[in-house]
Amino acid sequence: MNIPNSSTAPAAGEYAGDEVSAIVLDPGYSSTRAGFAGEDVPKSVCPSFYGQRDTDSGLHYAFGENAIHNPQDRLDIKNYWGSDGIVEDWDVATKLWEYAITDRLTGAKATDPTKNGLNDGNTNGDSMDVDIEALENNEKPLEESPLLITEPGWNSAKAREKYIEIAMEDWGAPAFFLQKTGVLAAFASGKASGIIIDVGASHTSVTPVLDGMVLRKGVQKSPLAGNFISNQIRQIFKQSSPEIPLTPHYLVKSKTQVDAGSPAQAAYKTFANPPTDSFRFNEEERVLTEFKESVVEVWPGPGRFSNGNNEEIARNTPGRPFEMPDGWNQVFSSERFRAAEGLFDASAALTSDTSPRPKDEHTIPRLVQAAVQQVDADQRPMLLANIVVTGGSTLLYKFNERLNYEINAIYPSTRNKLIAPGSVVERKYASWIGGSILASLGSFHQLWISRKEYEEHGAGIVEKRCR
Amino acid sequence: MASGRDVRDMLGLPMGGDAPKAAIQKRPKLAGGSRKIQGVAREVAALYGERPPPVAVYEEKKSYRAKRQNTGPAKKWEQQAFRIAARRDDLVLRHWRRKHATAPPVQAPDDTKMEDGENTDVQVPLCAEYEKYDVQVDLPTFTDDEYDVLLRSEDWSREETEYLLQMVNDFAYRWAVIWDRYDFLPFHKLYDGGESAKGDADQALAAMPFAPSKKRTVEDLKARFYDISAKLMKHRIPEVHMDAEQYSLYEMLSKFDPVMERNRKMLATALMNRSMDEVKEEEFLLTELQRINMAAVRLDAEREELRSRLDAPTANSSVSAGLQAFTSSQSLQALFQQLFQQDRSKKRASGGGTGPGRLSLSANDMVHTPGSAQAQLSAANRRQSMASQPVAQTPVKHLSPREEHRYNVSTHERLTSGVTFGSDKLLKMRQAKSNVQTQKIATALATLGIADVIAIPTSRVGDVFETLVTKLGKLLDVRKVREKEEGECRVLQNMKEGGGSGTPRGDNMSETPKPKSEIQDTPGIDADGEDDDDNNPNFGDDDAPGEEEEEDDADGDDDGDGMEDVDAEGEDESSVQQSRATSQGVGGQSHKRSASVFSQDDESEISTKRARK
Ligand SMILES: Nc1ncnc2c1ncn2[C@@H]1O[C@H](COP(=O)(O)OP(=O)(O)OP(=O)(O)O)[C@@H](O)[C@H]1O
Ligand SMILES: [Mg+2]
Repeated sequence: MNIPNSSTAPAAGEYAGDEVSAIVLDPGYSSTRAGFAGEDVPKSVCPSFYGQRDTDSGLHYAFGENAIHNPQDRLDIKNYWGSDGIVEDWDVATKLWEYAITDRLTGAKATDPTKNGLNDGNTNGDSMDVDIEALENNEKPLEESPLLITEPGWNSAKAREKYIEIAMEDWGAPAFFLQKTGVLAAFASGKASGIIIDVGASHTSVTPVLDGMVLRKGVQKSPLAGNFISNQIRQIFKQSSPEIPLTPHYLVKSKTQVDAGSPAQAAYKTFANPPTDSFRFNEEERVLTEFKESVVEVWPGPGRFSNGNNEEIARNTPGRPFEMPDGWNQVFSSERFRAAEGLFDASAALTSDTSPRPKDEHTIPRLVQAAVQQVDADQRPMLLANIVVTGGSTLLYKFNERLNYEINAIYPSTRNKLIAPGSVVERKYASWIGGSILASLGSFHQLWISRKEYEEHGAGIVEKRCR
Repeated sequence: MASGRDVRDMLGLPMGGDAPKAAIQKRPKLAGGSRKIQGVAREVAALYGERPPPVAVYEEKKSYRAKRQNTGPAKKWEQQAFRIAARRDDLVLRHWRRKHATAPPVQAPDDTKMEDGENTDVQVPLCAEYEKYDVQVDLPTFTDDEYDVLLRSEDWSREETEYLLQMVNDFAYRWAVIWDRYDFLPFHKLYDGGESAKGDADQALAAMPFAPSKKRTVEDLKARFYDISAKLMKHRIPEVHMDAEQYSLYEMLSKFDPVMERNRKMLATALMNRSMDEVKEEEFLLTELQRINMAAVRLDAEREELRSRLDAPTANSSVSAGLQAFTSSQSLQALFQQLFQQDRSKKRASGGGTGPGRLSLSANDMVHTPGSAQAQLSAANRRQSMASQPVAQTPVKHLSPREEHRYNVSTHERLTSGVTFGSDKLLKMRQAKSNVQTQKIATALATLGIADVIAIPTSRVGDVFETLVTKLGKLLDVRKVREKEEGECRVLQNMKEGGGSGTPRGDNMSETPKPKSEIQDTPGIDADGEDDDDNNPNFGDDDAPGEEEEEDDADGDDDGDGMEDVDAEGEDESSVQQSRATSQGVGGQSHKRSASVFSQDDESEISTKRARK
């Protein structure tokens, strides 16, 4: 086997890799990632938002990027996650996950190509809905592949059993495993122990991990994450005078160049049956994500943004321009630091009737502190030397600088080290990548929960096996 | 072309006769193309025109990547089903493996097994490659009797003990995790564990007091587990039969003290939770402490040295001119050893202070802390008051020239470092660079009737001695020249008499007699000019002692860690401090040198009791 040839597999001793074409599914609030274990990026990334249409012929669902951004009347955009960071709508979650898996991975074998919505998404809006009956009549989509699903650190026992039921009953997976996102994100960075700070869309979580096992008492979560930042930006827009208009792409037919700050001169589309509010909200969210990517900046420290003359300093740094889909544009100066300051300093968060002041203990520094507090004293310094940063919202400009500053301010006497993968893909999909590594290891073969074991012990076996 | 074959292989297309044909057709094309430059490089080359490129252009072909070896037709792969040896069920997974029909007998152990599987055809092969990762945890086990006799505890029920062992097994002794997941609910356990309970009264009693689940700390868990382990271990192997390893394990297990552990952890926590200010303060204090320690060590060494210096000459002067203490060469040797040792230990002491370690801070770190500067000053003061120059602090009083003469007070432009002894100075003057020269000086002095040790080496005696030695040096020089010339004369004479051939050099001879006459009245000195050439400058020069001093300076700087340390320290202090510090070092150096003089001359230093002026 050790023929020096690029087509030979590396010796087994090199890394215990032994791929069994397992599928890794990493559902998150903003997107659901799926792909084959052993690959380095998820092949299938589809939004966790889905479209729901209540037509005369019954409920119709629309999954996938193309479907949910197509303005249609009565198309409600929803998300299957609950506000507590645990899957709420299991029926849709199952369908959406199945879509994510069959769409790009197991594809044609699982569903009839004319029925699964793969081909008609771009052509005809009406037939894009996945025909549920057709799906159910088909053979089970995962007969071939073991399945690894990721779960949040605070997942309930009931939810965990639900995962294995879906995998075994609905999809017919030969083997199944459930692993926490925190552990997998650590694996993706090559760490078996550490503190994982995951700032995603709906939740920020801090997970202490020791030798690949989550220290449950230490798991902390807070709702201050990507969606919170989006809300902050909305408020910045609202509170600025004159109010900054937030017009999503689908409303704009054509735009003309205008000067900074002056009202947009664009031709807008008109709809006979205007899409729903939830559709608009979701479309606005896309613009806000763009805004986050290109304008929002985290005050890097030292001190908080509101401290001393930090605001003054920020005002003197060059601003960043942003143009709305309708051509309205402006250079954002110190206000661009406001949007994310709430993650670190609850008193700096912008508030309104609908969004009350966040709790102090929900800020990231306090979460870290609480998490460390719950860990055995001997392990703390080691964990602090391995702080893995992951999640889409940590891509905010200067986020790591600030985090580093805050952690060093809390723990000045330990050697604290942030591990933040440089590439965007690795940062966003860390937990999927960790799953991909884990499920492709030969030494992992013995950990799978097999169908037989499931049939013998029932769904309760996840509690026993996936610790 | 190889990749084309691979693609074919992957797509499962047949490797028909046309595939090799295509390869053959392609080959000449490639060979033809290799002469020209290809791809982007060609376009780049085109840009150069006729002129040669300004930099060497490497052809891509010459890259050093190893060539892909052609190992025959692409190997076939297939998705093979396999079972996992470490599993207790018969889960069948599939992975890609080489197809065996075409492959030669293969090495990997699992592969051979697979072949077995193929033979039986129905059976799925077993893969034991990763069985080694299926590790089990070693746990103490006990029988019911053992539990009743040994392990019964006020605080722990049998159920909870078993639960604890289960947890230790599940999490492989990772106590932090065990504690994190520890969630014993006695009631539930009591109810569903009913059939396992033996039902006797003891059991019920043992279970009674802890019905409410209590919060256990890691230390509680560890204490219980170690206690069990130790007791069982002792029960199985009596202490006397344990080997060293077992006994140390047993000792460790039985000596676990949860209270101490808890306190240690509390301290560790407190240490970690210090505020920024506290950390800074600690850092500062540590710096201070270290600096003070270093200063103390240095001070001690200096005091020691001073004391020894004061001691050595008193022994010397107590016998005044007689040097009774050092009549024998052994005693002199001993003295030298002693001085040498002191010198070394001093170096080590000051050098060791800046050894590696977290606490070590370079001198620069201390500059910015005002307190440390102050402390340094005070340390300097202390040193000043105790060390070499008490004179510096006495109020200045002017003496008349007569008094000056009487008390032998002298003023100097520039004071050399530290304490020097007149006798040292005299001794040094006797030294030339080469042994031969030294001996010559010594014999010359002896013929003049000057004792080896001059009893009261006042500065004036020193001056006179210096002029004497200078003159002596000159004399010796001249004599050397004379001897050379004489020798030449003799050679020429011989040549004249023997060969009879005249040489033009004869002219020079007329000039040589002059020095001859001067030297004639220094009898009894052997002509022995082997390596005399290098010794002149020292004694030819008028301020030879001064030069000696400077040389010492240079020596001091070259010297190893001890010296450097002093210098580095000095950089941060005032310039006064610095000069003192370095001069201190030089003083030590010269001291050492004089000590070495002792050893060198001990043979010749036969005591002469005569007191010479
Ligand atoms: N470059 C970027 N700068 C700032 N924010 C970004 C960037 N890219 C993505 N985001 C934000 O990151 C969030 C998505 O991150 P991620 O994919 O980690 O979340 P998720 O795992 O789906 O959600 P959760 O972890 O809450 O379940 C979105 O809120 C998005 O707006
Ligand atoms: Mg996430």
